[in-house]
Amino acid sequence: MTRAERVWQLLTTSFSQILIPGLEVTIPLTVISFVFGLIIALLTALVQVAHIKGLRSLARFYVWIFRGTPMLVQLYIVFYGLPKMGLILDAIPSALIVFSLNTGAYASETMRAAIEAVPKGQMEAGLCAGMSYTDVMFRLILPQALRTAFPPLSNTLIGLVKDTSLAANITVTEMFLAAQRIAARTYEPFVLYCEVGVLYLLICTVLTRLQRICEKKLERRGPRAA
Amino acid sequence: MLLEINHIQKSFDNLAVLKDVSLKVNSGDVITILGRSGSGKTTLLRCLNFLERADKGDMLFDGTHYDLHAAPKSQIAALRKKTGFVFQDYNLFINKTALKNVTEGLIAGHGMKRAEAEDIGMEMLRRVGMAEKRDSYPHELSGGQQQRVAIARAMAANPRIIFFDEPTSALDPQLVGEVLAVMRSLAEGGMTMMVVTHEMNFARNVSTRTVLMHEGEIAEEAPPSEFFTHPRSEAARRFLSLEGK
Repeated sequence: MTRAERVWQLLTTSFSQILIPGLEVTIPLTVISFVFGLIIALLTALVQVAHIKGLRSLARFYVWIFRGTPMLVQLYIVFYGLPKMGLILDAIPSALIVFSLNTGAYASETMRAAIEAVPKGQMEAGLCAGMSYTDVMFRLILPQALRTAFPPLSNTLIGLVKDTSLAANITVTEMFLAAQRIAARTYEPFVLYCEVGVLYLLICTVLTRLQRICEKKLERRGPRAA
Repeated sequence: MLLEINHIQKSFDNLAVLKDVSLKVNSGDVITILGRSGSGKTTLLRCLNFLERADKGDMLFDGTHYDLHAAPKSQIAALRKKTGFVFQDYNLFINKTALKNVTEGLIAGHGMKRAEAEDIGMEMLRRVGMAEKRDSYPHELSGGQQQRVAIARAMAANPRIIFFDEPTSALDPQLVGEVLAVMRSLAEGGMTMMVVTHEMNFARNVSTRTVLMHEGEIAEEAPPSEFFTHPRSEAARRFLSLEGK
């Protein structure tokens, strides 16, 4: 067998061995963390713009911690550190918690900025039309803010796809760890790491396409705020 | 008496914007509030709807007493359901059609059924001549059209009074007329209105009373026929000579 043939065979057999953890772990990890992250982000942004006193400082503290420390360190603390404190979590829940909280911290700043970019007059007009603060926020301000926040939030999602590879460090068998194991076995790191890189690229390309389609749909309903 | 404002005071930082303003408004009155910029007229309107919190003062509106500094949220919410507010820069809901701009408050604020709200909404749009634009978004409308929709929105819940904060100041000159015409027909229909404006002709021809504000106080209050021909105060004389009549 020539070298080229061997590489080709390796690529074809390893493809499914990397793709399956991708479909079973990387993508669910990304999607679930992103959804939880968005919920956390929305709450974190809302308590800040609504000036709810105690919660506001708590939100700032949370954002400060999670934006200011490496995600890898956070993963190590939760997976390797917390058991020493008596809290034992499996690898996947650990990764979910860290990715959600991390996404929440970054996305909350995006949402806060987007909410603050909605002209102040929108809230005043809503209140004067007889609506409550909460009604105006959920029916008028947030839908407008979402449009502004959509492109940067898509960015966060695409970033998260790649960041899930960090979970390899805490024994989560996602795409990168799967590739790493095959590379160690076959002594073909160049081939395997390029292959897994291409798979990440594929997922991100699909997401970018989806983002463009969604943006077009949002665009049809008038311009963004600000 | 519909509205009685007593000794309202408001400062921003150390600048006293309203020094001690009292005013009475009867049902059906159309009161124009004139004055140079910075005289406190917009702040006065905004305090009445609690868009700004006054430092002091109270008011009696439609039989209810309000502390303009310390009124509780529930009271403010109830007050806003009985008043309309028209802004200088329209503030139409950017992501809603003309019709939805009118119905949103009826549905979410006043608990009305959608069908009923839409009937009222269409009726209001007809009255301001905007019925055929019901499905247009604000960015598809001219300034004058946006302001007419905003007036329809302010009228929709059948308020006891509508506050107008310089409703034509942001408009191109050729669009001012259509908005003033709508306001005039509202006034003729008996709506109680407080209008902060620079439109001297509107003040002269439509209002029942003219109030001149000067440095945070009411300098003069008179029917327009008197105000424009025999101003009593020095501030009014100077204001009228600067306004070119």
